[in-house]
Amino acid sequence: MTTRSGKVGDRLFSLAGRVGAVVAFTFMAAPALFIVVLSFSNDKFIGFPPKTWGLDRYTSVFTSGTWLDPISLSLQVAALAALLALVLVVPAVLGMKRGMLPGAGLIEATAIAPMLFPIAAYAVAMYAVFAEAGLIGTFHGIVLSHAIHAVPLVVIVLSTALDRVRPELELAAMTMGASRARAWVGITLRLLTPAVLGGATLAFVSSFDEAVFITFLGGPGLVTLPKMIFDSVQYGVDPSITAIATILMVVTAGLMLGATQLRKDVR
Amino acid sequence: MSAAMQQATVPAGRARPGKTWSAQLSRRTAVLMVAPLVLAVLLLVVYPIFKLLYDSLTQGDGPGNYVEAVSSKAIRRAFVLTLLNSAAVTVLSLGLGAVLAWTLRLARRRLVTALVWAVVLLPFWMGVVVKNYAFALLLARDGLVNTALRALGIVDEPVQLLYTPWAVIAGMTYTMIPYAVLALYPSMSAVDLELLNASQGLGASRSRAFRSVLLPLVLPGVIAATAIVFAISIGFYVTPVLLGGAQTPFIATVVGDDIFTFFNYPRAAAASVLLLAIALAAIGTAAKAVGFKSLRGGLG
Repeated sequence: MTTRSGKVGDRLFSLAGRVGAVVAFTFMAAPALFIVVLSFSNDKFIGFPPKTWGLDRYTSVFTSGTWLDPISLSLQVAALAALLALVLVVPAVLGMKRGMLPGAGLIEATAIAPMLFPIAAYAVAMYAVFAEAGLIGTFHGIVLSHAIHAVPLVVIVLSTALDRVRPELELAAMTMGASRARAWVGITLRLLTPAVLGGATLAFVSSFDEAVFITFLGGPGLVTLPKMIFDSVQYGVDPSITAIATILMVVTAGLMLGATQLRKDVR
Repeated sequence: MSAAMQQATVPAGRARPGKTWSAQLSRRTAVLMVAPLVLAVLLLVVYPIFKLLYDSLTQGDGPGNYVEAVSSKAIRRAFVLTLLNSAAVTVLSLGLGAVLAWTLRLARRRLVTALVWAVVLLPFWMGVVVKNYAFALLLARDGLVNTALRALGIVDEPVQLLYTPWAVIAGMTYTMIPYAVLALYPSMSAVDLELLNASQGLGASRSRAFRSVLLPLVLPGVIAATAIVFAISIGFYVTPVLLGGAQTPFIATVVGDDIFTFFNYPRAAAASVLLLAIALAAIGTAAKAVGFKSLRGGLG
């Protein structure tokens, strides 16, 4: 008797698990598929399912002019922010891991902390500092804010990767006469290259996608792509957003998968 | 012949006479290498937070900013809404995230693993604004969800879904599930499946095996994930604005309005400090329970 009710319970339990998995899977997949399907519609207004199919939404992204300036601004900001984040983080991680500095753990923790700040509170704090320094609405200010926003990601990627490069390899090169600089360039940095590229990609994507700092710090003049989409969703919907969204999804997925692959190569 | 080969033939002792070999840097070099990052973090992480705290206590009504923030009905309501919604988002993200992470743990076929990882990472690929745009379209009065509800005969008239707390919870949960899965997966992938088989072999039901064997093993991951998801959730700005509208003001929305519409920076600073304090309390509690390492591991 107990075994039979137990078996029924077991079945119910695994059934619940399976239903949960299907629900979770559907919940995750549906919004993305929905956008992709809508992007291939030629209807004047957004409606599901589309009545006519075509590539009008895609051509209008590149011909209407509204979207090209924000895209170009976002690309510039993201490239510079990623570069700046690398310049700050790569030497610092090497110094922290190979220098036995007291407080290295504290530095790493403080550099990662912004990842867990409620972004709205952090944006208000940055707003006050930027207002004081006259950086509100400036290109350089936005690059700076995006770089510091990307620093935690790059620190995590690089410090995990460097933990896997054994200092003995550098030592071996140095005992054979290589200078420390040469050992680093020839051994450590070469082994770290995939992680550096992976970290740079994550930094680039995080800046390209950033929508809160730009709202608080960008002033009226600087309109990045996320800001442009944000504004047009808020004040009326331009159907070509579905095409931009699809392009973004595919490109970002490609970049992030590439970054993950690069990170794996180090292991 | 390359320079490296030539250098390699130089006897080590002559290259650096009298030195002991060590992979360690001199302290001076290490300090120089770390300095730019430390400077950037001091200027753009530490200073802003201290300035926020200082301003909230000295500008406007001084400490009265906090009284004003807490006694303002709009801000109090926003705080309650933010905390309740974030709690709901945390529970949902952990529930759905745990199911997905466990599916990944059990999956044997590579196709299944790849597909599940793909949907877990989709929100990252879609980007902040696009995700919310998708939910705005899905939940609109003439959107797909309403159409489906009417087709199934569950409702007769289109129901208001967009600009309700439910829309915000759905959108935020979608965003936070990847974080939950990434935080839960390391502890789940470390679970030895034989332990579960053994407990069931000894007569435990599945739910008993889940409660008494699996749950204790993954608890550190669950605690880390809870803290991470909650702390990030309470700061959301884009989702409450796009999916919640004016009817569902989050603390982030109110703070933004304080700065740009009412020009009341001191009150915004006070509310932001309260928000930060809540996040720190959540993170601190979790770090105390499971250690900083688990928390750091939960971030990827």
